[in-house]
Amino acid sequence: MTWLESPQSEAEKLIRDGLDQAAKRTGDEITHRRVWANIAEATELTPPRSYRLLAFASATLVVLLGAAGVFAYPHLRGKATSQLALVNHSTQAPSPVAIVPPAEAVPASPLPEQVVLDEAERAPGHVVRTGVGERARVALGGGAEAELDENSAITWDKQHRPAVEQGSARLSVPHQPPGWRFSVTAGPYVVTVVGTKFEVRVASRTVGVEVTEGVVEVWRGSHSTRLVAGDAWHGPLSPDDASTAQPAPKQSKAHSTAPRAKIQTDQHLLDAQAALQAGNVNKALDILNRAAQGNGPAAENAAYELGRITRYDLNHPRQAVALWEKYRTRFPSGLLRTETDLSIVETLSHVGEVHAALAEAEAFLARHPDSERRGEVQRLAERLRATEAASDAK
Amino acid sequence: MSNAAADADLVRMCRDGDMAAWRALYDRYAPSVHRFTASLGVPVEEREDAAQDIFIAVFRSLRHFRGEAQLSTWIYRIAARHAIRMGRRRRTRELMRLVMLKESNHLLVDPSERSTQVATLDRMLAKLPAKKRTVLVLFEIEGLSAKEISDVVGCPENTVWSRLHHARAEMVRVARRMVP
Repeated sequence: MTWLESPQSEAEKLIRDGLDQAAKRTGDEITHRRVWANIAEATELTPPRSYRLLAFASATLVVLLGAAGVFAYPHLRGKATSQLALVNHSTQAPSPVAIVPPAEAVPASPLPEQVVLDEAERAPGHVVRTGVGERARVALGGGAEAELDENSAITWDKQHRPAVEQGSARLSVPHQPPGWRFSVTAGPYVVTVVGTKFEVRVASRTVGVEVTEGVVEVWRGSHSTRLVAGDAWHGPLSPDDASTAQPAPKQSKAHSTAPRAKIQTDQHLLDAQAALQAGNVNKALDILNRAAQGNGPAAENAAYELGRITRYDLNHPRQAVALWEKYRTRFPSGLLRTETDLSIVETLSHVGEVHAALAEAEAFLARHPDSERRGEVQRLAERLRATEAASDAK
Repeated sequence: MSNAAADADLVRMCRDGDMAAWRALYDRYAPSVHRFTASLGVPVEEREDAAQDIFIAVFRSLRHFRGEAQLSTWIYRIAARHAIRMGRRRRTRELMRLVMLKESNHLLVDPSERSTQVATLDRMLAKLPAKKRTVLVLFEIEGLSAKEISDVVGCPENTVWSRLHHARAEMVRVARRMVP
Protein backbone atom coordinates (compact mmCIF):
# COMPACT_ATOMS: atom_id res chain seq x y z
CA MET A 1 0.00 0.00 0.00
CA THR A 2 1.22 3.49 -0.83
CA TRP A 3 2.26 5.64 2.10
CA LEU A 4 -0.26 8.44 2.81
CA GLU A 5 -2.53 7.16 0.04
CA SER A 6 -5.44 8.55 2.04
CA PRO A 7 -3.94 11.60 3.76
CA GLN A 8 -5.55 12.47 7.09
CA SER A 9 -4.34 16.05 7.27
CA GLU A 10 -3.11 18.95 5.15
CA ALA A 11 0.46 18.12 6.15
CA GLU A 12 0.16 14.55 4.93
CA LYS A 13 -1.47 15.71 1.70
CA LEU A 14 1.43 18.10 1.17
CA ILE A 15 3.87 15.21 1.38
CA ARG A 16 1.84 12.86 -0.83
CA ASP A 17 1.34 15.50 -3.57
CA GLY A 18 5.03 16.36 -3.47
CA LEU A 19 6.08 12.73 -3.79
CA ASP A 20 3.70 12.18 -6.72
CA GLN A 21 5.04 15.22 -8.54
CA ALA A 22 8.67 14.38 -7.76
CA ALA A 23 8.24 10.96 -9.35
CA LYS A 24 7.54 12.73 -12.65
CA ARG A 25 10.65 14.90 -12.85
CA THR A 26 12.69 12.73 -15.18
CA GLY A 27 14.42 15.56 -17.07
CA ASP A 28 13.75 16.62 -20.61
CA GLU A 29 14.99 15.08 -23.84
CA ILE A 30 17.28 17.98 -24.64
CA THR A 31 19.07 17.79 -21.30
CA HIS A 32 19.56 14.06 -21.72
CA ARG A 33 20.93 14.51 -25.25
CA ARG A 34 23.28 17.28 -24.15
CA VAL A 35 24.58 15.14 -21.29
CA TRP A 36 25.02 12.19 -23.63
CA ALA A 37 27.04 14.30 -26.07
CA ASN A 38 29.36 15.34 -23.23
CA ILE A 39 29.70 11.76 -22.01
CA ALA A 40 30.55 10.50 -25.50
CA GLU A 41 33.10 13.29 -25.76
CA ALA A 42 34.62 12.66 -22.33
CA THR A 43 34.88 8.91 -22.56
CA GLU A 44 35.69 8.68 -26.29
CA LEU A 45 33.30 5.78 -26.54
CA THR A 46 34.72 4.03 -29.54
CA PRO A 47 35.36 0.32 -29.97
CA PRO A 48 38.90 -0.72 -29.11
CA ARG A 49 41.26 -1.06 -32.07
CA SER A 50 41.51 -4.83 -31.64
CA TYR A 51 37.73 -5.06 -31.91
CA ARG A 52 37.70 -2.99 -35.11
CA LEU A 53 40.42 -5.17 -36.63
CA LEU A 54 38.52 -8.29 -35.64
CA ALA A 55 35.31 -6.92 -37.14
CA PHE A 56 37.11 -6.07 -40.37
CA ALA A 57 38.72 -9.52 -40.54
CA SER A 58 35.36 -11.20 -39.87
CA ALA A 59 33.65 -9.13 -42.56
CA THR A 60 36.38 -9.98 -45.07
CA LEU A 61 36.08 -13.67 -44.22
CA VAL A 62 32.31 -13.59 -44.60
CA VAL A 63 32.58 -11.82 -47.97
CA LEU A 64 35.13 -14.40 -49.21
CA LEU A 65 32.98 -17.27 -48.03
CA GLY A 66 29.94 -15.69 -49.65
CA ALA A 67 31.81 -15.33 -52.94
CA ALA A 68 32.91 -18.97 -52.69
CA GLY A 69 29.28 -19.91 -52.14
CA VAL A 70 28.19 -18.05 -55.28
CA PHE A 71 30.83 -19.80 -57.41
CA ALA A 72 30.05 -23.19 -55.90
CA TYR A 73 26.29 -22.77 -56.23
CA PRO A 74 25.83 -24.47 -59.63
CA HIS A 75 27.75 -27.50 -58.38
CA LEU A 76 26.04 -27.72 -55.03
CA ARG A 77 22.48 -27.12 -56.18
CA GLY A 78 21.79 -30.79 -56.67
CA LYS A 79 23.01 -31.59 -53.18
CA ALA A 80 21.30 -28.67 -51.54
CA THR A 81 17.82 -30.12 -51.17
CA SER A 82 18.73 -32.58 -48.45
CA GLN A 83 20.56 -29.90 -46.46
CA LEU A 84 17.69 -27.47 -46.80
CA ALA A 85 15.26 -30.01 -45.47
CA LEU A 86 17.23 -29.92 -42.23
CA VAL A 87 17.10 -26.18 -41.86
CA ASN A 88 13.72 -25.20 -43.27
CA HIS A 89 10.79 -27.06 -41.80
CA SER A 90 8.14 -25.63 -44.08
CA THR A 91 8.76 -27.42 -47.35
CA GLN A 92 10.24 -30.50 -48.99
CA ALA A 93 10.88 -28.68 -52.25
CA PRO A 94 14.03 -26.64 -52.81
CA SER A 95 13.77 -24.03 -50.09
CA PRO A 96 13.60 -20.32 -50.85
CA VAL A 97 16.05 -19.64 -48.08
CA ALA A 98 18.99 -21.46 -46.59
CA ILE A 99 19.85 -21.05 -42.91
CA VAL A 100 23.27 -22.55 -42.70
CA PRO A 101 26.71 -21.50 -41.54
CA PRO A 102 28.47 -19.21 -44.04
CA ALA A 103 30.64 -21.97 -45.51
CA GLU A 104 27.54 -23.89 -46.50
CA ALA A 105 25.43 -20.91 -47.56
CA VAL A 106 23.05 -21.90 -50.32
CA PRO A 107 20.87 -19.55 -52.40
CA ALA A 108 17.10 -19.69 -52.19
CA SER A 109 14.34 -20.55 -54.66
CA PRO A 110 12.41 -17.84 -56.61
CA LEU A 111 9.33 -17.84 -54.31
CA PRO A 112 9.36 -15.38 -51.40
CA GLU A 113 8.69 -17.16 -48.16
CA GLN A 114 8.31 -16.33 -44.52
CA VAL A 115 11.21 -17.74 -42.54
CA VAL A 116 10.68 -18.04 -38.82
CA LEU A 117 13.83 -18.56 -36.80
CA ASP A 118 13.91 -19.47 -33.16
CA GLU A 119 16.24 -17.77 -30.70
CA ALA A 120 18.96 -20.39 -31.11
CA GLU A 121 18.98 -20.00 -34.89
CA ARG A 122 19.40 -16.24 -34.72
CA ALA A 123 23.01 -16.84 -33.80
CA PRO A 124 26.34 -15.66 -35.17
CA GLY A 125 27.28 -17.61 -38.26
CA HIS A 126 23.77 -18.35 -39.50
CA VAL A 127 23.10 -16.78 -42.89
CA VAL A 128 19.85 -16.27 -44.74
CA ARG A 129 20.69 -15.72 -48.39
CA THR A 130 18.65 -15.08 -51.54
CA GLY A 131 19.84 -15.75 -55.10
CA VAL A 132 18.99 -14.17 -58.45
CA GLY A 133 15.27 -13.41 -58.74
CA GLU A 134 14.59 -14.58 -55.18
CA ARG A 135 13.17 -12.75 -52.18
CA ALA A 136 12.58 -13.79 -48.60
CA ARG A 137 10.93 -12.47 -45.46
CA VAL A 138 12.83 -13.25 -42.30
CA ALA A 139 11.39 -12.96 -38.79
CA LEU A 140 14.03 -11.34 -36.59
CA GLY A 141 12.28 -11.86 -33.25
CA GLY A 142 10.29 -9.41 -31.15
CA GLY A 143 7.94 -8.78 -34.07
CA ALA A 144 10.70 -7.33 -36.27
CA GLU A 145 10.90 -8.57 -39.84
CA ALA A 146 13.32 -8.19 -42.75
CA GLU A 147 12.37 -8.58 -46.40
CA LEU A 148 15.43 -9.55 -48.40
CA ASP A 149 15.72 -8.53 -52.05
CA GLU A 150 17.41 -10.79 -54.58
CA ASN A 151 21.11 -11.46 -54.16
CA SER A 152 21.00 -10.39 -50.52
CA ALA A 153 22.17 -11.94 -47.30
CA ILE A 154 21.48 -11.32 -43.64
CA THR A 155 23.36 -12.87 -40.75
CA TRP A 156 23.78 -12.26 -37.00
CA ASP A 157 26.84 -10.71 -35.45
CA LYS A 158 28.48 -11.87 -32.25
CA GLN A 159 26.18 -9.60 -30.26
CA HIS A 160 23.24 -11.44 -31.85
CA ARG A 161 22.18 -8.40 -33.84
CA PRO A 162 20.95 -8.89 -37.41
CA ALA A 163 23.63 -7.82 -39.88
CA VAL A 164 22.86 -7.01 -43.50
CA GLU A 165 25.83 -8.56 -45.20
CA GLN A 166 25.02 -8.05 -48.83
CA GLY A 167 22.29 -6.62 -51.05
CA SER A 168 19.20 -4.94 -49.70
CA ALA A 169 16.81 -5.59 -46.81
CA ARG A 170 13.62 -3.70 -45.91
CA LEU A 171 13.12 -3.84 -42.16
CA SER A 172 9.95 -3.39 -40.21
CA VAL A 173 10.39 -2.96 -36.45
CA PRO A 174 7.46 -2.63 -34.03
CA HIS A 175 7.59 0.18 -31.51
CA GLN A 176 10.08 -0.65 -28.75
CA PRO A 177 9.31 -0.01 -25.07
CA PRO A 178 10.75 3.21 -23.60
CA GLY A 179 14.51 2.97 -23.30
CA TRP A 180 14.74 0.00 -25.66
CA ARG A 181 16.22 0.07 -29.12
CA PHE A 182 16.47 -2.37 -31.97
CA SER A 183 19.82 -2.47 -33.76
CA VAL A 184 20.91 -3.84 -37.11
CA THR A 185 24.43 -3.58 -38.47
CA ALA A 186 25.69 -2.94 -42.00
CA GLY A 187 29.46 -2.90 -42.46
CA PRO A 188 30.97 -0.51 -39.91
CA TYR A 189 27.58 1.10 -39.11
CA VAL A 190 24.98 0.31 -36.47
CA VAL A 191 21.44 1.40 -37.29
CA THR A 192 19.30 1.85 -34.16
CA VAL A 193 15.57 2.42 -34.08
CA VAL A 194 12.75 2.58 -31.59
CA GLY A 195 10.08 1.38 -34.03
CA THR A 196 9.97 2.10 -37.73
CA LYS A 197 10.25 0.87 -41.32
CA PHE A 198 13.46 1.36 -43.22
CA GLU A 199 15.71 -0.18 -45.85
CA VAL A 200 19.38 -1.05 -45.51
CA ARG A 201 21.53 -1.62 -48.60
CA VAL A 202 25.08 -2.91 -48.68
CA ALA A 203 26.83 -2.41 -52.02
CA SER A 204 30.46 -3.06 -52.91
CA ARG A 205 31.70 0.26 -51.47
CA THR A 206 28.78 1.89 -49.72
CA VAL A 207 26.06 1.33 -47.14
CA GLY A 208 22.71 3.06 -47.64
CA VAL A 209 19.71 3.58 -45.35
CA GLU A 210 16.30 4.87 -46.42
CA VAL A 211 13.56 5.53 -43.85
CA THR A 212 9.90 4.94 -44.70
CA GLU A 213 8.41 5.54 -41.24
CA GLY A 214 9.62 6.73 -37.84
CA VAL A 215 13.14 7.75 -36.84
CA VAL A 216 16.43 5.93 -37.34
CA GLU A 217 19.92 6.68 -36.02
CA VAL A 218 22.97 5.50 -37.94
CA TRP A 219 25.97 5.18 -35.65
CA ARG A 220 29.67 4.91 -36.41
CA GLY A 221 31.85 5.15 -33.32
CA SER A 222 30.51 8.08 -31.33
CA HIS A 223 29.06 9.85 -34.37
CA SER A 224 25.48 9.46 -35.41
CA THR A 225 23.19 10.63 -38.15
CA ARG A 226 19.51 10.90 -37.36
CA LEU A 227 17.08 10.17 -40.19
CA VAL A 228 13.35 10.73 -40.24
CA ALA A 229 10.72 9.36 -42.62
CA GLY A 230 11.61 10.20 -46.23
CA ASP A 231 15.33 10.66 -45.50
CA ALA A 232 18.04 8.71 -47.26
CA TRP A 233 21.68 8.42 -46.25
CA HIS A 234 24.76 6.61 -47.50
CA GLY A 235 28.29 6.12 -46.19
CA PRO A 236 31.46 4.29 -47.17
CA LEU A 237 31.58 0.56 -46.44
CA SER A 238 35.33 0.21 -46.02
CA PRO A 239 36.56 0.78 -42.47
CA ASP A 240 39.50 2.73 -43.93
CA ASP A 241 37.17 5.14 -45.68
CA ALA A 242 34.91 5.19 -42.67
CA SER A 243 37.69 6.27 -40.36
CA THR A 244 38.14 9.50 -42.26
CA ALA A 245 34.79 10.23 -43.85
CA GLN A 246 31.60 11.41 -42.14
CA PRO A 247 28.22 9.96 -43.02
CA ALA A 248 26.92 12.19 -45.80
CA PRO A 249 23.26 12.77 -46.57
CA LYS A 250 22.21 11.57 -49.98
CA GLN A 251 19.32 13.98 -50.16
CA SER A 252 19.31 17.47 -48.82
CA LYS A 253 16.46 16.53 -46.49
CA ALA A 254 18.70 14.28 -44.42
CA HIS A 255 20.61 16.05 -41.69
CA SER A 256 23.63 15.08 -39.68
CA THR A 257 23.24 15.01 -35.94
CA ALA A 258 26.70 14.02 -34.81
CA PRO A 259 26.23 14.78 -31.12
CA ARG A 260 29.53 16.57 -30.55
CA ALA A 261 28.98 18.99 -33.40
CA LYS A 262 25.31 19.47 -32.84
CA ILE A 263 24.66 19.68 -29.16
CA GLN A 264 27.80 20.89 -27.51
CA THR A 265 27.33 24.08 -25.57
CA ASP A 266 28.46 27.06 -27.65
CA GLN A 267 30.09 30.22 -26.38
CA HIS A 268 27.09 32.41 -27.28
CA LEU A 269 24.88 30.28 -25.10
CA LEU A 270 27.35 30.42 -22.21
CA ASP A 271 27.63 34.22 -22.52
CA ALA A 272 23.85 34.53 -22.65
CA GLN A 273 23.47 32.30 -19.57
CA ALA A 274 26.06 34.39 -17.72
CA ALA A 275 24.17 37.56 -18.64
CA LEU A 276 20.92 36.01 -17.44
CA GLN A 277 22.43 34.96 -14.14
CA ALA A 278 23.67 38.49 -13.71
CA GLY A 279 20.08 39.64 -14.23
CA ASN A 280 20.77 41.27 -17.59
CA VAL A 281 18.01 39.78 -19.72
CA ASN A 282 18.37 42.34 -22.52
CA LYS A 283 22.05 41.56 -22.92
CA ALA A 284 21.26 37.84 -23.07
CA LEU A 285 18.63 38.46 -25.74
CA ASP A 286 21.03 40.64 -27.69
CA ILE A 287 23.71 37.91 -27.68
CA LEU A 288 21.22 35.26 -28.71
CA ASN A 289 19.67 37.46 -31.40
CA ARG A 290 23.08 37.87 -33.01
CA ALA A 291 23.86 34.15 -32.67
CA ALA A 292 20.49 33.24 -34.20
CA GLN A 293 21.34 35.18 -37.37
CA GLY A 294 24.08 32.68 -38.18
CA ASN A 295 23.85 29.07 -39.22
CA GLY A 296 24.38 25.66 -37.68
CA PRO A 297 23.80 24.32 -34.19
CA ALA A 298 24.71 27.58 -32.42
CA ALA A 299 22.06 29.49 -34.38
CA GLU A 300 19.54 26.75 -33.72
CA ASN A 301 20.22 26.75 -29.98
CA ALA A 302 20.03 30.55 -29.90
CA ALA A 303 16.73 30.63 -31.83
CA TYR A 304 15.18 28.23 -29.33
CA GLU A 305 16.62 30.01 -26.29
CA LEU A 306 15.18 33.35 -27.44
CA GLY A 307 11.72 31.86 -27.05
CA ARG A 308 12.52 30.30 -23.71
CA ILE A 309 13.85 33.52 -22.18
CA THR A 310 10.94 35.52 -23.57
CA ARG A 311 8.56 33.02 -22.04
CA TYR A 312 10.10 32.47 -18.61
CA ASP A 313 12.26 35.51 -17.91
CA LEU A 314 10.26 38.25 -19.61
CA ASN A 315 6.95 36.48 -19.04
CA HIS A 316 5.70 37.26 -22.56
CA PRO A 317 4.17 33.93 -23.56
CA ARG A 318 2.59 35.03 -26.85
CA GLN A 319 5.83 36.60 -28.06
CA ALA A 320 7.61 33.42 -27.06
CA VAL A 321 5.26 31.35 -29.18
CA ALA A 322 5.95 33.66 -32.15
CA LEU A 323 9.70 33.19 -31.64
CA TRP A 324 9.37 29.42 -31.44
CA GLU A 325 7.25 29.47 -34.59
CA LYS A 326 10.11 31.32 -36.27
CA TYR A 327 12.44 28.57 -35.04
CA ARG A 328 10.17 25.93 -36.61
CA THR A 329 10.13 27.77 -39.93
CA ARG A 330 13.93 28.03 -39.99
CA PHE A 331 14.73 24.59 -38.61
CA PRO A 332 11.79 22.35 -39.55
CA SER A 333 13.80 19.21 -38.75
CA GLY A 334 15.96 20.81 -36.05
CA LEU A 335 17.28 18.89 -33.09
CA LEU A 336 15.23 21.05 -30.73
CA ARG A 337 12.05 20.61 -32.75
CA THR A 338 10.44 18.26 -30.23
CA GLU A 339 11.21 20.63 -27.36
CA THR A 340 9.96 23.59 -29.38
CA ASP A 341 6.67 21.91 -30.27
CA LEU A 342 6.21 20.96 -26.64
CA SER A 343 6.99 24.46 -25.41
CA ILE A 344 4.38 25.89 -27.79
CA VAL A 345 1.74 23.41 -26.57
CA GLU A 346 2.46 24.21 -22.92
CA THR A 347 2.57 27.95 -23.45
CA LEU A 348 -0.65 28.13 -25.46
CA SER A 349 -2.33 26.01 -22.84
CA HIS A 350 -0.97 28.28 -20.09
CA VAL A 351 -2.40 31.44 -21.69
CA GLY A 352 -5.76 29.74 -22.16
CA GLU A 353 -5.75 29.49 -25.96
CA VAL A 354 -7.50 26.14 -25.77
CA HIS A 355 -8.23 25.63 -29.50
CA ALA A 356 -4.72 26.52 -30.61
CA ALA A 357 -3.13 24.48 -27.80
CA LEU A 358 -5.24 21.44 -28.66
CA ALA A 359 -4.35 21.71 -32.35
CA GLU A 360 -0.66 21.93 -31.42
CA ALA A 361 -0.97 19.00 -29.01
CA GLU A 362 -2.57 16.84 -31.70
CA ALA A 363 0.10 17.87 -34.20
CA PHE A 364 2.76 16.99 -31.60
CA LEU A 365 1.31 13.51 -31.08
CA ALA A 366 1.21 12.93 -34.84
CA ARG A 367 4.68 14.27 -35.45
CA HIS A 368 6.50 12.73 -32.48
CA PRO A 369 4.98 9.29 -31.96
CA ASP A 370 8.12 8.07 -30.17
CA SER A 371 8.64 11.04 -27.88
CA GLU A 372 9.18 10.35 -24.19
CA ARG A 373 6.81 13.26 -23.54
CA ARG A 374 3.97 11.64 -25.49
CA GLY A 375 2.06 10.53 -22.39
CA GLU A 376 2.31 13.99 -20.87
CA VAL A 377 1.03 15.65 -24.08
CA GLN A 378 -1.74 13.07 -24.39
CA ARG A 379 -2.97 13.92 -20.88
CA LEU A 380 -2.79 17.62 -21.64
CA ALA A 381 -4.75 17.10 -24.89
CA GLU A 382 -7.44 15.25 -22.94
CA ARG A 383 -7.71 18.11 -20.45
CA LEU A 384 -7.89 20.62 -23.31
CA ARG A 385 -10.64 18.62 -25.04
CA ALA A 386 -12.60 18.54 -21.79
CA THR A 387 -12.18 22.30 -21.36
CA GLU A 388 -13.24 22.86 -24.96
CA ALA A 389 -16.31 20.65 -24.54
CA ALA A 390 -17.26 22.47 -21.33
CA SER A 391 -16.98 25.89 -22.97
CA ASP A 392 -18.98 24.68 -26.01
CA ALA A 393 -21.71 23.45 -23.66
CA LYS A 394 -22.12 26.90 -22.06
CA MET B 1 12.62 -10.95 -21.85
CA SER B 2 13.00 -10.02 -18.19
CA ASN B 3 14.65 -6.75 -17.23
CA ALA B 4 17.55 -8.60 -15.59
CA ALA B 5 18.19 -10.70 -18.71
CA ALA B 6 17.88 -7.63 -20.93
CA ASP B 7 20.30 -5.71 -18.69
CA ALA B 8 22.75 -8.61 -18.82
CA ASP B 9 22.64 -8.50 -22.64
CA LEU B 10 23.11 -4.77 -22.58
CA VAL B 11 26.10 -5.01 -20.25
CA ARG B 12 27.66 -7.70 -22.45
CA MET B 13 27.21 -5.54 -25.57
CA CYS B 14 28.62 -2.47 -23.81
CA ARG B 15 31.67 -4.44 -22.73
CA ASP B 16 32.12 -5.49 -26.38
CA GLY B 17 32.37 -1.80 -27.27
CA ASP B 18 28.94 -1.49 -28.86
CA MET B 19 28.23 2.25 -29.00
CA ALA B 20 24.50 1.76 -29.61
CA ALA B 21 24.35 -0.39 -26.46
CA TRP B 22 26.02 2.37 -24.41
CA ARG B 23 23.44 4.77 -25.75
CA ALA B 24 20.60 2.36 -24.98
CA LEU B 25 21.89 1.97 -21.41
CA TYR B 26 22.05 5.73 -21.04
CA ASP B 27 18.57 6.22 -22.50
CA ARG B 28 17.16 3.60 -20.15
CA TYR B 29 18.64 5.00 -16.95
CA ALA B 30 19.13 8.75 -17.56
CA PRO B 31 15.57 9.68 -16.48
CA SER B 32 15.90 7.72 -13.20
CA VAL B 33 19.31 9.23 -12.48
CA HIS B 34 17.95 12.72 -13.15
CA ARG B 35 14.96 12.17 -10.84
CA PHE B 36 17.05 10.51 -8.13
CA THR B 37 19.72 13.21 -8.00
CA ALA B 38 17.03 15.91 -8.01
CA SER B 39 15.32 14.26 -5.03
CA LEU B 40 18.65 13.97 -3.23
CA GLY B 41 18.99 17.74 -3.42
CA VAL B 42 21.32 18.26 -6.38
CA PRO B 43 20.30 21.75 -7.58
CA VAL B 44 19.13 22.20 -11.15
CA GLU B 45 22.29 23.96 -12.30
CA GLU B 46 24.43 21.04 -11.14
CA ARG B 47 22.20 18.20 -12.37
CA GLU B 48 23.66 17.89 -15.86
CA ASP B 49 27.18 17.72 -14.43
CA ALA B 50 26.01 15.17 -11.88
CA ALA B 51 24.41 12.95 -14.55
CA GLN B 52 27.51 13.26 -16.70
CA ASP B 53 29.85 12.29 -13.84
CA ILE B 54 27.60 9.41 -12.77
CA PHE B 55 27.37 7.88 -16.25
CA ILE B 56 31.08 8.32 -16.89
CA ALA B 57 31.66 6.45 -13.61
CA VAL B 58 29.16 3.78 -14.73
CA PHE B 59 30.80 3.37 -18.13
CA ARG B 60 34.33 3.28 -16.73
CA SER B 61 33.55 0.73 -14.05
CA LEU B 62 31.10 -1.45 -15.96
CA ARG B 63 33.80 -4.06 -16.40
CA HIS B 64 33.78 -4.51 -12.61
CA PHE B 65 30.01 -5.04 -12.52
CA ARG B 66 29.63 -8.69 -11.56
CA GLY B 67 25.90 -8.94 -12.09
CA GLU B 68 25.26 -9.95 -8.47
CA ALA B 69 22.94 -6.98 -7.99
CA GLN B 70 20.59 -5.57 -10.59
CA LEU B 71 22.13 -3.07 -12.98
CA SER B 72 19.63 -0.43 -11.81
CA THR B 73 20.61 -1.00 -8.16
CA TRP B 74 24.29 -0.67 -9.05
CA ILE B 75 23.66 2.60 -10.91
CA TYR B 76 21.59 3.96 -7.99
CA ARG B 77 24.52 3.13 -5.67
CA ILE B 78 26.93 5.15 -7.81
CA ALA B 79 24.41 7.99 -8.13
CA ALA B 80 23.72 8.09 -4.37
CA ARG B 81 27.41 8.28 -3.48
CA HIS B 82 27.95 10.99 -6.04
CA ALA B 83 24.95 13.06 -4.96
CA ILE B 84 25.93 12.83 -1.28
CA ARG B 85 29.50 13.84 -2.14
CA MET B 86 28.21 16.80 -4.15
CA GLY B 87 25.99 17.77 -1.20
CA ARG B 88 28.98 17.82 1.16
CA ARG B 89 30.96 19.97 -1.27
CA ARG B 90 28.01 22.32 -1.69
CA ARG B 91 27.59 22.72 2.07
CA THR B 92 31.31 23.42 2.43
CA ARG B 93 31.07 26.09 -0.28
CA GLU B 94 28.05 27.66 1.43
CA LEU B 95 29.90 27.64 4.74
CA MET B 96 32.89 29.33 3.15
CA ARG B 97 30.61 31.97 1.67
CA LEU B 98 29.11 32.65 5.10
CA VAL B 99 32.52 32.75 6.75
CA MET B 100 33.77 35.19 4.13
CA LEU B 101 30.51 37.16 4.47
CA LYS B 102 29.73 36.74 0.82
CA GLU B 103 26.23 36.73 -0.51
CA SER B 104 24.61 33.33 -0.78
CA ASN B 105 24.58 31.92 -4.28
CA HIS B 106 21.28 32.52 -6.03
CA LEU B 107 19.88 29.18 -7.10
CA LEU B 108 18.41 28.84 -10.55
CA VAL B 109 14.88 27.54 -10.81
CA ASP B 110 14.18 24.82 -13.32
CA PRO B 111 11.13 25.90 -15.36
CA SER B 112 9.94 22.31 -15.35
CA GLU B 113 9.96 22.34 -11.56
CA ARG B 114 7.84 25.37 -10.94
CA SER B 115 5.41 23.10 -9.22
CA THR B 116 5.02 24.38 -5.71
CA GLN B 117 4.43 20.83 -4.52
CA VAL B 118 7.85 19.64 -5.65
CA ALA B 119 9.56 22.74 -4.28
CA THR B 120 7.84 22.18 -0.94
CA LEU B 121 8.81 18.52 -0.93
CA ASP B 122 12.43 19.46 -1.64
CA ARG B 123 12.41 21.83 1.33
CA MET B 124 11.07 19.03 3.53
CA LEU B 125 13.58 16.49 2.22
CA ALA B 126 16.39 18.96 2.85
CA LYS B 127 15.61 18.74 6.58
CA LEU B 128 16.36 15.01 6.67
CA PRO B 129 19.82 13.58 7.32
CA ALA B 130 21.41 12.15 4.13
CA LYS B 131 21.00 8.47 5.06
CA LYS B 132 17.33 8.75 5.92
CA ARG B 133 16.66 10.95 2.92
CA THR B 134 18.30 8.43 0.55
CA VAL B 135 16.20 5.57 1.90
CA LEU B 136 12.97 7.59 1.76
CA VAL B 137 13.63 8.75 -1.82
CA LEU B 138 14.56 5.26 -3.02
CA PHE B 139 11.45 3.75 -1.43
CA GLU B 140 8.81 6.43 -1.98
CA ILE B 141 9.92 8.02 -5.26
CA GLU B 142 12.08 5.44 -7.02
CA GLY B 143 9.89 2.53 -5.91
CA LEU B 144 12.71 0.19 -4.86
CA SER B 145 12.11 -2.67 -2.42
CA ALA B 146 13.79 -2.78 1.00
CA LYS B 147 16.10 -5.51 -0.29
CA GLU B 148 17.15 -3.41 -3.28
CA ILE B 149 17.66 -0.37 -1.05
CA SER B 150 19.83 -2.41 1.29
CA ASP B 151 21.98 -3.27 -1.77
CA VAL B 152 22.20 0.39 -2.78
CA VAL B 153 23.05 1.87 0.61
CA GLY B 154 24.98 -1.14 1.93
CA CYS B 155 23.09 -1.81 5.15
CA PRO B 156 20.86 -4.64 6.42
CA GLU B 157 17.19 -4.68 5.42
CA ASN B 158 16.11 -4.08 9.04
CA THR B 159 18.13 -0.87 9.05
CA VAL B 160 16.38 0.19 5.85
CA TRP B 161 12.97 -0.28 7.46
CA SER B 162 14.11 1.57 10.56
CA ARG B 163 15.50 4.53 8.57
CA LEU B 164 12.34 4.64 6.47
CA HIS B 165 10.16 4.69 9.58
CA HIS B 166 12.12 7.57 11.13
CA ALA B 167 12.31 9.46 7.82
CA ARG B 168 8.54 9.25 7.35
CA ALA B 169 7.88 10.43 10.90
CA GLU B 170 10.30 13.32 10.46
CA MET B 171 8.70 14.30 7.14
CA VAL B 172 5.28 14.48 8.77
CA ARG B 173 6.68 16.59 11.62
CA VAL B 174 8.34 18.98 9.16
CA ALA B 175 5.19 19.17 7.02
CA ARG B 176 3.04 20.01 10.08
CA ARG B 177 5.33 22.93 10.85
CA MET B 178 4.93 24.15 7.25
CA VAL B 179 1.14 24.00 7.16
CA PRO B 180 -0.34 27.16 8.70
